[in-house]
Amino acid sequence: MAWFNLSPVQVLLIEDDTEAAGLLVRGLRESGFTVEHAADGREGLARALQGQFDLIVTDRMLPHLDGLTIIERLRARGSGTPVLVLSALGSVDDRIRGLKAGGDDYLTKPFAFAELLARIEALLRRRPNAPSATRLQVEDLEFDLLERRVTRGGRELELTAREMKLLEFLMRRAGQLVTRTMLLEGVWDLHFDPQSNLIDVHISRLRQAIDRGSDHPLIHTVRGSGYVLRSDN
Amino acid sequence: MRPALFNTTAFRLSVGYTLLVTLAVGVTLGSAYLLTESLITDEVDLIIDTELKSLEEKYARSGVSGVTDEINLRIDSWGRIGAVYMLADANFERIVGNVAHWPFDGMPTEAWPEFDIATIEPGRRAVHPVRAAVRTLPGGDLLLVGTDISQGRRFAEKFRFATLSGIGLSTLAAALAGFWFSFRLARRVGEVTRTCQRIMAGESGRRLPVAGANDEFDALAASVNRVLDRLEEQAGTLRATFDSTAHDLRAPLQRLRARMDALLLRSPPLEPAVRDSIEGALRELDHLQRTLATLLQIALAESGTPLAAPAAVDVGELAAELVELFEPVAGAQGLQLACSHELPAIVQGNRQLLAQLLTNLIENGLKYVPAGGRIEVAVRKLADRVSLIVSDNGPGIAAEDRSRAGQPFVRFGGADKQEGSGLGLSLAAAIVRLHRGRLALESNEPGLRVVVDLPA
Repeated sequence: MAWFNLSPVQVLLIEDDTEAAGLLVRGLRESGFTVEHAADGREGLARALQGQFDLIVTDRMLPHLDGLTIIERLRARGSGTPVLVLSALGSVDDRIRGLKAGGDDYLTKPFAFAELLARIEALLRRRPNAPSATRLQVEDLEFDLLERRVTRGGRELELTAREMKLLEFLMRRAGQLVTRTMLLEGVWDLHFDPQSNLIDVHISRLRQAIDRGSDHPLIHTVRGSGYVLRSDN
Repeated sequence: MRPALFNTTAFRLSVGYTLLVTLAVGVTLGSAYLLTESLITDEVDLIIDTELKSLEEKYARSGVSGVTDEINLRIDSWGRIGAVYMLADANFERIVGNVAHWPFDGMPTEAWPEFDIATIEPGRRAVHPVRAAVRTLPGGDLLLVGTDISQGRRFAEKFRFATLSGIGLSTLAAALAGFWFSFRLARRVGEVTRTCQRIMAGESGRRLPVAGANDEFDALAASVNRVLDRLEEQAGTLRATFDSTAHDLRAPLQRLRARMDALLLRSPPLEPAVRDSIEGALRELDHLQRTLATLLQIALAESGTPLAAPAAVDVGELAAELVELFEPVAGAQGLQLACSHELPAIVQGNRQLLAQLLTNLIENGLKYVPAGGRIEVAVRKLADRVSLIVSDNGPGIAAEDRSRAGQPFVRFGGADKQEGSGLGLSLAAAIVRLHRGRLALESNEPGLRVVVDLPA
């Protein structure tokens, strides 16, 4: 993960469960982030407004100030810092899901640390107002978004509409870890976890179509976490 | 749906009420009219009869000349206003009287014949109706006595006009009052109905309007509002309980997970055997987490809290998407998964929950139907609802077990070895209830047929 070695990424973690917070802080520091911790909503908002953070990770339920209220107050003050909300299981409502539309994200507890890292990475890479590309390219894999045409090494690939959507999602995040939950949310708009290994089967179909007969597979499985589409060179 | 005004009880009541008013006024005024009219004619008839009798007596005593004198006397002295006399011979030629010609064609057949006479009054010609009686005198002469009944007629006409206007006006007044009454009633009841529908649709903060008139509607609205306040308060408490329960349960799970994650991230890396068992434990944790999430979802759905912020969801489209999502997995298991749907099949609900419903029903099929089997998802659009049927040709559920199948942790047919919490169908049933629909388990002969009915 060379991209954040240039200057350390500043993360503010707002979490009232001290033990969970301690583990998260340690994990994030080990992953190369500079982390500050606030133990309640009021303190969290104050710190968020004072410091220069690249990202804020906040619990949904906090003493004094709720995580969603913190976002509202931040936005009201003109701050565009991306926020990742950690929400308790069983309470993923539309207000939480609406975060995605505003450029923020949420994660349901309990979550795997790899999932958290993948979400953080996705939020940091997100460029607001990026010009909407009409072509995506990774190595010799090309996706013409206007004509909905995919070619690998000049050879046209036949993909279903859903496979194209899946590929577009991966190509837009080329080089980033993409988890199964991110795919379910982003490609199928499903915000719950089906039991079956659905995503694996869809990815393996896509992989068949794209990497079959190629010396340079582009879709890689990251053990226990998800997938990444990148050139190995 | 707002019922048309004509279809309300109030409207029907007021139509009946109007008819009753019309009938009552009609009978009262009509009988008064008839009674008055007959009183007037009876009086006229009595006078004519009396005069005829006295003239007949005169004839008996002093013959034609006596009657002639008497008639002339009566005409000249203006004894009675509007009196008409005539004595004619057997050929209907006038002997004496204040009428120019015999007014009838020969002998009138009725007892009280009527005719018109034209008179010249100062400045205008007038036609006066006359009611008369004719007697044949012993000598063959004819004696006619009549009375100008134009005054009585005018009175009767006025009376009739007043009667009809009375009936018309009171009908109109009753109809207007009834219409106004039923309109007001329909509007207030309609307000209550609409508010209740909006509350059912998820606007739990809405209350019935209290007009401030202190009437029975205000009393009703106030009581209903108190009930709604109580329900909302309870739902709020329930939600808070769920939230804190969820919070309390996920905290230790989160810590457990974080500790295990930390182990996996450690450098130098763990031995492969240790790593494998930690990953195995993490999978168990995932399972536990899913079961917990499902249980909380069922509890929340069953708590009676209305669906938050429902939106239009096309169940047909959703079914097609999920079948497409599951199709590769089904194919890998050697199962056929097919979808037939009608578009659009719109339901007011929560897309995520409906997707979860479809997912659970499809996964249920994937779990129980052996390789080579078939699972079908069918969505039909009916008049006011959407029917969703997921059927398979697997082992099905025995009739005596079907009622038990919606209960948590119930599994059938050796499925205990398989993965799954046994919560799939009970969550499905809870989601359907939350959408005010019905879920029934039927035999697909062979196999299972889950029939879901969702109000549109």
